[in-house]
Amino acid sequence: MSRALALVLLGITSTAQAQARWNLSFGAGGGPEIAHSRIGTTRERVSGLLLAGEGVATRGRFVARLRYGQGRVTNDTAGRDVAEGEALLGYKARPWLTVWFGPHARTFVVPGQSDRRWLFWSGRVTARGSLLPGRVESYVELWQGVTGSLSRPAESASGGGGEAGLDLRLARHPIWGRLGYRIEQGRASGGARRETVEAITLTVGYGY
Amino acid sequence: MRRALPFLLALSLGAALGPRMANAQSAAAVLAQGTRAYDDLEYDNAAGLLRRALAFQGADALAPADADRGLMYLAATELLRDHADSARAVARRLVLANPRFRPDELVFPPQVLTFYEATRRATPAVISRAPADTAIRPGAEALGVRLYASTFHDVTATLGTEAGRVVRTLYAGPISDSLDLHWNGLDSSGTAPPPNGRYAITVTSLDRQRRVVRILRLPLEVTQGRVDTLPHPAPPADSLLLPERQPMRPALRAFAPAALAGVAIAVLPSVVASGENATGARFVVGGTVTAAGIVAFFSHHPGRSIPGNAAHNRTLRDAWRREDADVARRNAERARGMIGIRSGAPVLLTPEAP
Repeated sequence: MSRALALVLLGITSTAQAQARWNLSFGAGGGPEIAHSRIGTTRERVSGLLLAGEGVATRGRFVARLRYGQGRVTNDTAGRDVAEGEALLGYKARPWLTVWFGPHARTFVVPGQSDRRWLFWSGRVTARGSLLPGRVESYVELWQGVTGSLSRPAESASGGGGEAGLDLRLARHPIWGRLGYRIEQGRASGGARRETVEAITLTVGYGY
Repeated sequence: MRRALPFLLALSLGAALGPRMANAQSAAAVLAQGTRAYDDLEYDNAAGLLRRALAFQGADALAPADADRGLMYLAATELLRDHADSARAVARRLVLANPRFRPDELVFPPQVLTFYEATRRATPAVISRAPADTAIRPGAEALGVRLYASTFHDVTATLGTEAGRVVRTLYAGPISDSLDLHWNGLDSSGTAPPPNGRYAITVTSLDRQRRVVRILRLPLEVTQGRVDTLPHPAPPADSLLLPERQPMRPALRAFAPAALAGVAIAVLPSVVASGENATGARFVVGGTVTAAGIVAFFSHHPGRSIPGNAAHNRTLRDAWRREDADVARRNAERARGMIGIRSGAPVLLTPEAP
């Protein structure tokens, strides 16, 4: 079964390779992030700034996306560092529709405690629509964790999220910008812990 | 009594349906029976059948060629029954209906042929053939009417009004087999066409004593300036015309993704994390996306006129109008000085028995 799948993937990949070349794009940005934590009846809200970078490689219909962000979120009484990242492989089923799969993790670092890491293997769908062809696009992305885990306390987890926003491109220049809103939620299997993260991101990038 | 009842019912039914069944027989079938009876020398029976065949009216009546044949058989039958007067009346009826008819020498005996020939010669008459609808240029062209005569005799042909006033004398003289009458479309002055109205070509047949024996009236309707015209060109097809205003659809297609993304930003928290108080800052992003959509919508200038397309369409429409006006002008030129002539069914009158 796995051999057949590998052969199919190899066939698709070789066809795509014959048709296209690599396109690379990099971006960096940041924005405010707000995390809502709920443990039992206890609620906590922390917010802060997150800086992030990303790279996207496209060849034919295949896309690979790496994102990493790091920052610090605080409130009046507490603070913690946060680092998050994702590594996704995607396939452009339609010019306006991409499906993705890959891991996605977020770690909160609190001094004196071990890290608390949410890890999900997720499936995603991104839909894009052109407002001004080649210049402005809107997008909506939804994801759902296929499997997930929480490191402290060690539990399995489920979660999902979404992102929507606007991509802008300069005419005749490979420079682009993005304004997006993202929200995602992770839930530990015990049901006692739930963590929701919202972020508004402003990203500037280079490449096609 | 019970046994007699079905018989009486059948009899009543037969009596009721009998005449209808007989009528159902076609005129052509009756004519065929009549000619068969004539061939079998059953002249009394043949006379009855032939008269019945000729009595059919309207849509059931015999075709003109069959009617001619029926009359000829009936004339021969009456002659062979020694009813000479009746035979002459039938033969005269045939001559007046079709002066060009000649009996088949292989079918009828010499005495019948001689009798018919004598009747034809003693019955001067003409019939006419004219175009049903035509147009001529008065003075330069002419309306042609062909006359066919039963025998050599003198005729006078005039064009007159309905009231009988003679507008133009077309011919006066002998006719043998046929004759072409020509009217050049002018009145008696020879300078102008007669006014619009109903007229008739009257052909009067004269015997040797110059008595009027037959009058043929061919009604005509004269109309000034009526002529077959060139067809007007069709206006440019919609497929050739370009939109003169920017359509709404591309603008809506540009706005729709932004609107969807804006709505998605508004509802994402309730979909992904229901129960959480999501930040209102997301509406800044959603508003920005929607505003970009509005800008994109108006960048397509929906409803704005497209000068290039309007000019293209104007060129097409102007060309069509020019062509249409040209056709109208040419039609007017063609119609100028023309008269239309429509002829009706000719009527043959016999003022007195010859």
